[in-house]
Amino acid sequence: MRFVLSTSAFWLVGIISTFAGEEAAHEGLPLHAERIFDNLPITNSMVMSWVAALLVILFAKVATRQMAVIPSGIQNFAEWLVESLYNFLEGILGAHLVKRTFWFFGGVFIMILCSNWIGLFPGVGTIKWGDAPILRGGNADLNMTLALALVATVLWFYWAITENGVMGFLKHIFAPKGEFNGPMKLLMIAIFFMVGIIEVFSILLRPVALSFRLFGNVFAGENMLDIMMKLVNPKIAFLPALPFYFLELLVGLIQALVFMLLTAVFLQLICDHGDDHEEAH
Amino acid sequence: MLDFINVLAVADSGNPIKAIVRTFDVDGSLLFAQILNVCVVLFVLNKFAFGPILKMLEERRARIIAGEDKIKLIERQLADSVETTAAAISKANDEAVRMVTEAKQGAATFTEQKAQEAISSAQQILAKAEAAAKADRERLTAELKREFGRLVVATTSQVTGKLLTADDQKRINEDALAKVEG
Repeated sequence: MRFVLSTSAFWLVGIISTFAGEEAAHEGLPLHAERIFDNLPITNSMVMSWVAALLVILFAKVATRQMAVIPSGIQNFAEWLVESLYNFLEGILGAHLVKRTFWFFGGVFIMILCSNWIGLFPGVGTIKWGDAPILRGGNADLNMTLALALVATVLWFYWAITENGVMGFLKHIFAPKGEFNGPMKLLMIAIFFMVGIIEVFSILLRPVALSFRLFGNVFAGENMLDIMMKLVNPKIAFLPALPFYFLELLVGLIQALVFMLLTAVFLQLICDHGDDHEEAH
Repeated sequence: MLDFINVLAVADSGNPIKAIVRTFDVDGSLLFAQILNVCVVLFVLNKFAFGPILKMLEERRARIIAGEDKIKLIERQLADSVETTAAAISKANDEAVRMVTEAKQGAATFTEQKAQEAISSAQQILAKAEAAAKADRERLTAELKREFGRLVVATTSQVTGKLLTADDQKRINEDALAKVEG
């Protein structure tokens, strides 16, 4: 256990030091979001996540304002998006689970994607008040990504327990998979119990991994764009950053997909009762 | 490099979590506010986007299934209708053939009957005509006999110059007729 903790801590510390080192060397974006008010928990990053949320909600309201059986225009696009996501998640989770959980996975995907792409708007991260940028990408704040990961984890526990029952949930983690007899059975119980303990650590570390992965990618992207613009004369500052904007569009999509996919796969693994669930572990 | 050393120093001192929290400004109130934001956005998205859209998709799916069922029903009804129509046409054909046959048979019977009636009627007319002719002939024969007898009696009376009795007249008549008919 000590080994696992110290290894995890070492990696996290390594990531921090890398970010910190870059910050010092290139005077890039700060690692944390800037608070707007002293006595209110509102940051420049949170404002961007509100803007993203408002845009998504506005889009949803407009798209569903006059629902028609034969869709057209924005309703058509919204239906295509939702139906594609639903079918994609149904392929991973199955018909039963996707019906229960689509609101979360679909919502998280759209929210992260919108937030990532809005963070690429010109001015976000580059227009500064003093040393701090006035606006900052929604997911370039660890509080935001950690909030997403914590909500996902709490819901994962809720869905895992309601689908399996408490005993089923524990058996899924600790009980031996497969049919064994005699001494082999005892050995397998011991082995799977230890595997279960490792699994528990893996489950507990998931929010950390999820939040740092998303934060790291988005923050690194913003930092890279910032650095690229500082490489040349300010009059042509956009030029070196331009190719990376396309890369960041792709990264924004991939990271939204990765977050949604990982959380969906984690849920599918704990709720899977099929023959292949030994392989999943 | 100095930061890296600082962070490693914090990690070695036994509390890397504090280093992470401080470096990334992970704060309870900020985290709670972000969790609240996430929950509100998810709720609103579910209520205003996913709910109505999924409902519409489900409604459309149900309509498509109902439409397909209707098409199947119509196809089945059409097939039944074609089958019923074919059966009705076949039945009507059979009926028509039967009626034509019956009509032909009826017509033949009627023709035969009428022919027989005509023949019978003609025969009756012929028999009547023959009877009438026979009666006329007999009547004329009788009149002729009577006239012949009267002439014979008259002639005999004039020739003999005597008045003939009824027996004489009868005898003379019978003799004369016997000779004429002889």
